[in-house]
Amino acid sequence: MTDQPTPPVPPPPPSKPLKSMQQVEVDESKVWNLWFTRREFLTMAAWGTVLAGLGGSALGLLRYFIPRITYDPPSIFKIGKPEDYPLGQVDERWKKKYRIWVERESIEKGGGLFVIFARCTHLGCTPNWLEGQNKFKCPCHGSGFRRTGINFEGPAPRPLERCKVALADDGQVVVDISTRFRNPKDWNKTDAYLKVKV
Amino acid sequence: MSKFQAKLSDIARVIRTSKIWKSIFRHSYQDTPRNRALMVLSNVFLHLHPVKVRPASLRYRYTWGLGGLSFYLFLSLTLTGVLLMFYYRPTIEHAYWDMKDLRFVVPFGPFLRNMHRWSAHVMVLLVMFHMASVFYRSAYKPPREYNWVVGVILLLITFLLSFTGYLLPWDQLAIWAVTVGTNMAANSPILGSEGPFSIVTPDMDARFILLGSKIVGQSGLLRFYVLHCVFLPLIFIILVSVHLWRVRKDEFSAIPLPPEEERRKGVLPEEWVKKHPEALQEKVFTWPNLVSREFVALLAITAILVIWSVFGHAPLEELANPNKTPNPSKAPWYFVGLQELLVYFDPWMAGVVLPTLILVGLIAIPYLDINPTGVGYYNFKNRKFATGIFTYGLVLWFGLIFIGYYMRGPGWELYLPWEKWDHFRPTSQIGLHNMPNWLGLVFLLGYGALGMLIPKIFFKDFYKSLGPIKYLVVMFLVLVMFFVPVKIVLRNVLKIKYIVSFPDFNLNI
Repeated sequence: MTDQPTPPVPPPPPSKPLKSMQQVEVDESKVWNLWFTRREFLTMAAWGTVLAGLGGSALGLLRYFIPRITYDPPSIFKIGKPEDYPLGQVDERWKKKYRIWVERESIEKGGGLFVIFARCTHLGCTPNWLEGQNKFKCPCHGSGFRRTGINFEGPAPRPLERCKVALADDGQVVVDISTRFRNPKDWNKTDAYLKVKV
Repeated sequence: MSKFQAKLSDIARVIRTSKIWKSIFRHSYQDTPRNRALMVLSNVFLHLHPVKVRPASLRYRYTWGLGGLSFYLFLSLTLTGVLLMFYYRPTIEHAYWDMKDLRFVVPFGPFLRNMHRWSAHVMVLLVMFHMASVFYRSAYKPPREYNWVVGVILLLITFLLSFTGYLLPWDQLAIWAVTVGTNMAANSPILGSEGPFSIVTPDMDARFILLGSKIVGQSGLLRFYVLHCVFLPLIFIILVSVHLWRVRKDEFSAIPLPPEEERRKGVLPEEWVKKHPEALQEKVFTWPNLVSREFVALLAITAILVIWSVFGHAPLEELANPNKTPNPSKAPWYFVGLQELLVYFDPWMAGVVLPTLILVGLIAIPYLDINPTGVGYYNFKNRKFATGIFTYGLVLWFGLIFIGYYMRGPGWELYLPWEKWDHFRPTSQIGLHNMPNWLGLVFLLGYGALGMLIPKIFFKDFYKSLGPIKYLVVMFLVLVMFFVPVKIVLRNVLKIKYIVSFPDFNLNI
């Protein structure tokens, strides 16, 4: 290229001020009298979007750690007929497999059947049934429970929980350990207490 | 010089003048001031140090090397941990048997596992001692407040690292310690399914998020494994980088002490230093003065841990069994103090509220302690309140750990350390009763109100210097600290189980 760069020619001075520099009559009644400028609004909107995105991600991350299905052992199962359980005894045959005690009341008390969940209400250890002392005893911090599940010694704040029981069509008892009754007031409900014809 | 030596030095010269050698090491090793500076300046690992340090910070009895040793143990734990990962599978079928293999089949397996286990215990202990020594030297005061906060978070992560590692052997010790620990999470207020004012069900509460299940099982093992091996170490590395960098940028706090006779007259070091700026100016090269001392400390602790790991085997009990709870089952020793509190408080207090307040209180220390004296040397005389309260907290923490670890037997019954455990001894937790709620509320409100008012009336200067907000925060934390022995006395002497009790909300104090 042989062209020499020509010195820039200064633009001619404008005969009248640019449109943007002219004083414009403003109709005050048509102006939005907002407490923020357009720039402030856009800044806030941008930060709001960023924060909403971060917050949404945090919630999503939290939700990620709560799966829809867990592969724990089934919570509903059959445990045989009510007559299989001797009257007035705490039955330990399912403790190892399902973590429950099955109790059949004596005739004087009605002869019904209920299921106690074998998990201490203090910090979740598995208590032991002590036939000789007629109580459940937790090895972790020494909580003791009567045979009804009512707490009477040690640090446990409330009674052992009872599981939902029902009678299936084939005459077997169905236990649902995911539905539990905490409050002794609920223990007489039909779901918590299975009446058995004696 | 023999002919052989001459030959050797020829070879050495060829190596040291070669292009490859010089590309790696950019300065010679001759002992010159320039090289001493370059040793630190041109080395990415050593440049965590400043080039020169004050002689006051070199004394062993000043820092006891605690911070540096904690960091060294973290590195050593990373190494042994990565080596253990080559044999360990985090599944409930394999985990326990892989541990058995490491113990009996893998050459040097027992040594590496013991080293990992014992280093972890020692690290937890040293990090706690490091915090105490920093406190007593006032090294958290301006401009180092924020670094203290980072340090408290590092302490928390150290606990969490150790606790998540506790589950991995999948033996009885592991699952029951973690069962107790995660059930405390289920007792959190609001976010735990069994805590006060709970708003969540057991399949979405804090315990579930930790374990991925309602019970300690496969998903919990995997989560703890990932936290232990990846997530927590990453966070630790990031924070410890900030921590060390800040220590270097703020210069080690150590200041020179005045001569013995002036100290006996009661001259404070910070005032003496103002008159003797030359003492503050005096600095020595980090290489070799500080680095050599660090190296000695590091060798000493390595020697102790190696000997310990050769002779002492890390515990491995029976295979985990969710249906059989060992009696007693104890948390890892550093949490046994909190477990001991479970005798006196419900889990939401002992496991959630009190630990949270401990952490918040520790973090708040540099912002609440406005006394400027004592920075850079041990001073108890002019900081009686601060050191008194802190020491009381330390004694309470380690005292509860001692009682829980050495004096609790089956059924969490009290035994003397040399007494034999009796599995059939009847429980001592009988005849407990609750205070009536109205009396309990009056008691709690009275304790709080009197605790707030009495120091304000009798120690007017204390109140004035702090101002109302700081005073409220300080006194709240102090009153909670003293509430622990109050409850212990109420429980043991007056047989009171709860001061107030609202079973419908799971709210018992």
